[in-house]
Amino acid sequence: MSDANGTNDDTESDDDFDTGLLEEELRQAAAVLDPLPPALLQSAVDAYALHDLDARVAELTFDSLVDALPVRGATDAPRLLTFTAGEVMLDVEVTEQGLIGQVLPPGPVRVELLGGPQPAAALTADDMGRFTAGTAPSGPFALRLRTGDDVVVTEWLRV
Amino acid sequence: MRTGSVPSAAYHDVPYTRGGTVERSEIGALVRSAVDGDAAAWKAIVEGLGPLVWSVVRAHRLSDADAHEVYQTVWFRFAQHLGRLREPEKAGSWLASTARHECLKVYRNARRLMLTDDPHVLDRVSEDGSPEQSLLEAEEAAAQSERVRRLWQEFEELGERCRQLLRVLIASPPPSYQEVSAALDIAVGSIGPLRQRCLRRLRARLESRGAA
Repeated sequence: MSDANGTNDDTESDDDFDTGLLEEELRQAAAVLDPLPPALLQSAVDAYALHDLDARVAELTFDSLVDALPVRGATDAPRLLTFTAGEVMLDVEVTEQGLIGQVLPPGPVRVELLGGPQPAAALTADDMGRFTAGTAPSGPFALRLRTGDDVVVTEWLRV
Repeated sequence: MRTGSVPSAAYHDVPYTRGGTVERSEIGALVRSAVDGDAAAWKAIVEGLGPLVWSVVRAHRLSDADAHEVYQTVWFRFAQHLGRLREPEKAGSWLASTARHECLKVYRNARRLMLTDDPHVLDRVSEDGSPEQSLLEAEEAAAQSERVRRLWQEFEELGERCRQLLRVLIASPPPSYQEVSAALDIAVGSIGPLRQRCLRRLRARLESRGAA
């Protein structure tokens, strides 16, 4: 391995060769010292179950973390999110206490909180499309809305 | 003696091809198969591009908890968008760019930002005995292991820009320059020259420590 540093020719191509070897050596070091954890690899394999051709994706169109001016001194300001799928809009507010949301246009809706490929948790929703969850999502989450035959899932996100 | 060649041409001579076990040209076909319900194609995508996503996340110095969640979020979102990708053959760039954006959100969320100067990265050798490690230990002497540690330590102490670039470049299989560009938001044309500079700097550090 010491030949990565053993030559002192300073032509371009030898320099390229040396850096190429060094990069490869570094790649091997990364594979040993900072590998992709097998559990994470598996969770990505399992994520295939989240592939759902029938649901429409509601894109994140507003995120207070990115789109709003920071509030000075407000260390636990709620995270405000807006998702949009065609005519359907969804406003969500996440705090440490939990999550509240409003589906627009207002109306009866069934809402589920997804945390991964595992089964979703149904949230309480009223006839005006308002819903709440008593705990904040930990880790990646998405919301699935059902109105009649229409299914909308928000873009996966973490807060 | 430096020849007159332009530095940007330097990387063309790198003695291996980038875009390893899953041929990048096959990614588009794999994505289409996965959309059609082929779970094996999905697995091949994950195995081919998972290390790239991991490298992008690790390049951004998040806490382990954040790194793991960002990694998952990226793949969950990719699964969700699978059938809607405009350019399936560029799935690697999509993943790299999504990972970058999620990492930047962690930075913004200052409460959660924890700079990991990560002394325990070095300890991981003893913490989890990965197959690579056992292989390494078995095949090479302790001196070699020590060299790997020292190499990694010098790498960790490089300037932030070099450390980030190299961490993405050393994903296995090696990413394409388009993917690196998406991962770090730098121009494709500047990656080669920067790579040369950073590797030369790393080598100089190793030599000055007598590690050569």
